[in-house]
Amino acid sequence: MIDAAAVAAAVAAVEDPEYPGLTIADLGILHDVRVDTSSGAVEVDLLPTRLGCPALDMIRRDVEAAARTVAGTGAVDVSFRHEPAWTPSRITAGARRHLAQEMTVTVRRRDGSLTCPVCGGGDVETLSEVGPAPCRSIARCHSCRNPVEVMRA
Amino acid sequence: MNRTWESLAAFEAFLDGGGMVEPGDEMPEEYRREVFRFIELHANSELMGALTERDWISRAPGIRRKQSVLAKTQDEIGHAHMLYMVAADLGVKSRTQILDDLLEGRTRFHNVFHYQAVTWGDQVAIAYLVDAAALVAQQAVFKDCSYGPYKRILRRIIAEEGFHMRQGEELVMGFAEGTEVQRKLFQESLERWWLPALQLFGPDSAPDDPLLRWRIKSERNEVLRDRYVQKFVPLLIGYGFEIPDPHLQFDDDTQRWVIGEIDWEPLKATLRNLGPDSGRRIRTAAEAWASSQWVRDALETA
Repeated sequence: MIDAAAVAAAVAAVEDPEYPGLTIADLGILHDVRVDTSSGAVEVDLLPTRLGCPALDMIRRDVEAAARTVAGTGAVDVSFRHEPAWTPSRITAGARRHLAQEMTVTVRRRDGSLTCPVCGGGDVETLSEVGPAPCRSIARCHSCRNPVEVMRA
Repeated sequence: MNRTWESLAAFEAFLDGGGMVEPGDEMPEEYRREVFRFIELHANSELMGALTERDWISRAPGIRRKQSVLAKTQDEIGHAHMLYMVAADLGVKSRTQILDDLLEGRTRFHNVFHYQAVTWGDQVAIAYLVDAAALVAQQAVFKDCSYGPYKRILRRIIAEEGFHMRQGEELVMGFAEGTEVQRKLFQESLERWWLPALQLFGPDSAPDDPLLRWRIKSERNEVLRDRYVQKFVPLLIGYGFEIPDPHLQFDDDTQRWVIGEIDWEPLKATLRNLGPDSGRRIRTAAEAWASSQWVRDALETA
């Protein structure tokens, strides 16, 4: 019989193609994994960060491939859901640290404030709502003068 | 705390010890100029790349490929934006001056953007071969770059480029597994773009290259080129394509691919903005800048 926990773990371990070192679970993109233990059918619900994310197709295929690494997996059905909507609040604390330290990307606090991922200062100004990826804005820290990026809500 | 130096020797000792230079630090004028020129070239190349990419959004076959070209265009504009920010912050030239110099043909951008992409095969060759060459070069700079803000941007650029490499690979696979006509189309593009891709690394580094001495980059041009050759020659042959180099050989003793001698004249022409498509590229970029003036005006008065 198929090991449902193994399927869930394999899917959760899929790395995001644009965030090396972070998984779709870390980023809060993974919403739900359902396994039918009799047929081996797997259903995965994902929440895209943005509607126009160019990596969705790749993520879909990576998730399908990951589910199939588990013995007994039957049909794999990956769907992108927009309800509930993805928000940066879904990013785990560990992933936030990784984003800040490794990629100088920051996540806006609940009160709307921004902290510079380089120097920790609070004088961060958004300069371009859309950055290199549709899920990030470009900002500049006026204290340490580094360009940084901010995950978009 | 911003750092200051008593002498060039003290600054170099700091760099030799793995030190990182930050925007508020004092830095020798020569270092400032070298790091500025390096970032300016990178920024200009991202912008010129984005503009050529843009031409293919409407022409790419099918919605998925259009989406991939669109993503790359956005990505490169974003990179250019951040790189210009870091370049201008060095205080050598203002952002306006940097753009004026580029659009009036006074400064450089990467050799590969001095050629015209005629077919979709060319566009894929750029996405796969040229971007991979840029990625190899950027990874080497990132590894040990002494200028902090640039190194931090490179980390993100490399992550993005890695993603685009996968997209490029899929496009090449599409040709490799396609019909005879498709395979031929990409083979022809490979013949046009292989040499420019090898030349992207530049001629062999001078022994006293200040970029190396000050860890603005950490590896010699010829080393990077060789790394690229060792990786991409077997990949392309594996896909069933032919490398357009009659002198290409596999050395059984060293187990390495050895390429024929490179003719550097085409590169020299592009460095003077006299490549086959330089004039049109610069003109197109200047037109794009001028025609979007109203957006900047609107933003400034908003």
